[in-house]
Amino acid sequence: MSEWRTHTWLRLKALIHRREFDRDLEDEIAFHLAMRERKQQKLGLSADDARYAARRRFGNATLLKENTREMWTFAFVETLWQDACYAVRTLRKSPALLAVVVLSLALGIGANSTIFSVLNAVLYRPLPYPQPGRLMAIWETESGRQNSEEPPAIADGADWKKQSHVFEDIALTSSTESTPLAGDGRAEQARAQFVSPNFFHLMGASPMFGRVFTASEAQDLTQTVVISNSFWKRRFNGDPRVLGKTLKVSGVLSTVVGVMPPSFGSFYGDPLDLWCPIDAESTRYSERKDHWLMAIGRLKQDANQSQAQIEMVMIAHRLEQAYPATNRGVSAKVVPLHDALYGEAGRYLYPLLGAVVCVLLIACVNAANLLQARTETRRTEFAVRASLGAGRRRLMRQLLVESGLLGLAGGTLGIALTFAGIRLFRALARDFPNADSVTVDTRVLLFTLAVSFATAMLVGSAPAFQAARTDLNLALREGERRTTSGKGGRRTRHILAVSEIALAMVLLVGAGLMINSVLRLQRVNPGFDPANVMKFDLSLAEGAPYVERLPGGDIERATPLVTAFYRQLLDKVTAIPGVESAGTITPFGFGYTFSVLGKPAPPPDKMPRTVFREITPSLFRALRIPLKKGRYLSGSDLPGAPWAAVINETLARRYFPNEDPIGQRLLLRFIDMDQKQPRQIVGVVGDVKWYLPESEPDPVVYVSYLQQGSDYRGGSILAHLAQNLVVRSAAGLGNRAAGLTEAVKKAVTEVDPNQPVTGIMTMEQALVRSIGDSQFYARLLEIFALIALLLAAIGIYGSMSYFVTERTHEIGIRVALGAGRGSILGLVTGLGLRLSCMGVAIGVVLALGITRVIARFLFGVTATDPVTFGEVGLGLLGIALLACYVPGRRAARVDPMVALRHE
Amino acid sequence: MKDKETNTGELLRDTLDMLVLKTLTRGAMHGYAIAEFIEEATDDVLRVEEGALYPALHRLELRGLVAAEWGLSENNRRAKYYRLTAGGRKQLGEESARWGRMTSAIARIMEA
Repeated sequence: MSEWRTHTWLRLKALIHRREFDRDLEDEIAFHLAMRERKQQKLGLSADDARYAARRRFGNATLLKENTREMWTFAFVETLWQDACYAVRTLRKSPALLAVVVLSLALGIGANSTIFSVLNAVLYRPLPYPQPGRLMAIWETESGRQNSEEPPAIADGADWKKQSHVFEDIALTSSTESTPLAGDGRAEQARAQFVSPNFFHLMGASPMFGRVFTASEAQDLTQTVVISNSFWKRRFNGDPRVLGKTLKVSGVLSTVVGVMPPSFGSFYGDPLDLWCPIDAESTRYSERKDHWLMAIGRLKQDANQSQAQIEMVMIAHRLEQAYPATNRGVSAKVVPLHDALYGEAGRYLYPLLGAVVCVLLIACVNAANLLQARTETRRTEFAVRASLGAGRRRLMRQLLVESGLLGLAGGTLGIALTFAGIRLFRALARDFPNADSVTVDTRVLLFTLAVSFATAMLVGSAPAFQAARTDLNLALREGERRTTSGKGGRRTRHILAVSEIALAMVLLVGAGLMINSVLRLQRVNPGFDPANVMKFDLSLAEGAPYVERLPGGDIERATPLVTAFYRQLLDKVTAIPGVESAGTITPFGFGYTFSVLGKPAPPPDKMPRTVFREITPSLFRALRIPLKKGRYLSGSDLPGAPWAAVINETLARRYFPNEDPIGQRLLLRFIDMDQKQPRQIVGVVGDVKWYLPESEPDPVVYVSYLQQGSDYRGGSILAHLAQNLVVRSAAGLGNRAAGLTEAVKKAVTEVDPNQPVTGIMTMEQALVRSIGDSQFYARLLEIFALIALLLAAIGIYGSMSYFVTERTHEIGIRVALGAGRGSILGLVTGLGLRLSCMGVAIGVVLALGITRVIARFLFGVTATDPVTFGEVGLGLLGIALLACYVPGRRAARVDPMVALRHE
Repeated sequence: MKDKETNTGELLRDTLDMLVLKTLTRGAMHGYAIAEFIEEATDDVLRVEEGALYPALHRLELRGLVAAEWGLSENNRRAKYYRLTAGGRKQLGEESARWGRMTSAIARIMEA
């Protein structure tokens, strides 16, 4: 051990004092020779003879020096360093090649690291809570659908908590909900999570200061809230005396009792302002019909998922017997919380990972192809080195060091591209979960390093083996004559070119399908005229002064202030100069059932269903929704008049196929509560698609906001409180959008200073947003496919160029023997085309198998759409042909004299 | 093939190392003096290439068996003097014991 230490220490010293060491060795040997020389002279030899004798007696001084020096150094590192220096020198000689190889590797590696960093942030990082592996989501499964995952009824969740022995605790939480916020003069739309009081304790979080909820704290008229760190800083400027301050959250007077630390943000990776308590034991939820809270359980230390699953099924069975009316056939399903939150994101991301792996493979093939050609031209060099005694291993190592350097350079540049890629991803993804936490962390760096290394080995191994196989005789002799290279090398290059085309084909087909989907989506007729229309989202507070909560049940009563608000607002907005018309429509289309008066009522579970939308009558004109029959709703449809309804064509077609719907009377029902009066159908309008990817429009009933009862059940009051205001500008919107927005905001504040306005955009923007997912996907695939296409084109071009250079001699002979330019061009492009066709054919087969993974993102095209396949294939062939044409023309211009003298 | 070469090399190398260590028991010496001593003591029977001495010396230095420092020679030239370390002395003890066992064993066979 100590011997080894002296060893290393002395060696290190020698390494540092390199020059000194060399001089010392030199001196030591010189001293020896001088001494011996003197002795020989004393014995009577002449000066020259003495020197000669001394030298002879000493032996090969250079070799000895070499051996000694080697002893003192870290031989492996040194030769590696030598190889690296040599590699840098030779690579510098072909800067263009170097640039192309490094750049293509960087593109491939950067794309991979970008997608990996997204996967890392969304899927691989454990949830930021203590012992996250013990957190489970518990879903209800619907009767007859064992795979469904539904939020349980709130009372069911409370029962689960009471009966479970496997879970330490079970909490309930809503998704992030937008809710109006007032108090201290500023109105805004807050993002809130409604949770059972035990939520924080279960997640293992404690407040930065203040406290979290105590059990059954939620009341109907007042409540306590816990606020997020970002909200505390934004709304209260980080005031430490925030505890005890009050806000009006959805009209409920709310006292701030705690502030959470910055590390405890939203559950779903989106911004969050505050948490409101829910009392699951409240009689409000005793009917077991409110399925809007997700259940989260923390397993006991020694329990596992399957034990929990078994127990939950038993509990669900007991509940089924206790509450047959609501729970018949309902069971339970336990899944890890991480999967429940991000499993869906994985289904988006893995196809993208596949795409970037494809890009990287193309980049590798491309680099290998280019380096391969280089290895062949360097065969003489290798042969010379081999005959001077370089071992096979040494040659292979030399080539691997070269590709390693290329990989390293590509990786470094790739990391830089990753930073750019992440910014691009965030810009494209908008509200992708956790998009903000996508960063380049240690894991991403390690991944990049590993990918670079693997890339380097992949790229370098083929030329390395080839170099090791070099036949000295052949290579040296051939080197002189410089004719065509071995058959093996050519075949390898052709295989590489074909696989590049095939991989590019797969990616292009994927991108092509997505682009076709987006084009089709953009061509969908939304059923109204979105031009020159702006949209504003309004949501009145679900509390005072607009709503009274009737104690003890699930019924809320709207005050007349709601209709007054919208009536005044419409009057003011319509009076704004330049406004042609304005109307409102609720964004919440609740599912209602209905019966037609005078017709036999079907059994309760076969009742016809429709979407119910409250509007102001002026909406149809403002959006120019075409009238098909009868009349629009009008200003005369007032509370005192008989209640009217307008239906869409789908409803008319589905439920009144052979009769005139006009004049029929419908009694609408939400859950089990009938509306106060039946409504007479007065008109039929065209179908509207608010959300473009929606393929089949649902039946819709439109009714006036003025003809409503005051009591709503099960949250259906939201359709009364929340309305989207649409405003049609008389002239083109253009630069008037900002002015119009200001005027509308002012009108809202005049009617209710506490009312925030959100979601301001043009109707066209809103429609584009509705296809956002597909567009985002198409963009990313488009980028990857373009990179792939570029790389493949470079690959083909490189192959063909090399082919031409290699055969200049042969082409010269052909021309000399009378071959026309056309036939020479044909020779080159023919080969290129053959390779490309082969690549495209293989690519089609691969794509047929692979595109299924993106079938769920497609619209209007199937995953095997022959038109897309055809277009992409032809396009790729065209580009390949172009890439062959340039070297082909060079071949055709070959001057036979020059080519033959080339020898 | 290659293995066999290193084996014979090692055998010679070990012997040379032992001779160098033994020589240095007489006190610190420079390379030339060591070579001279070995040649004279053996009446030139063990006259190897003198150069081979230097890799041996450096190897011993690296293993910490000898220590080296620069000094002035008898004719006032800069020379590198080697001396035995404690480790070297111990190593020499082991080597000569081994050498003794081996030669007597060989002798017994040759004289049998």
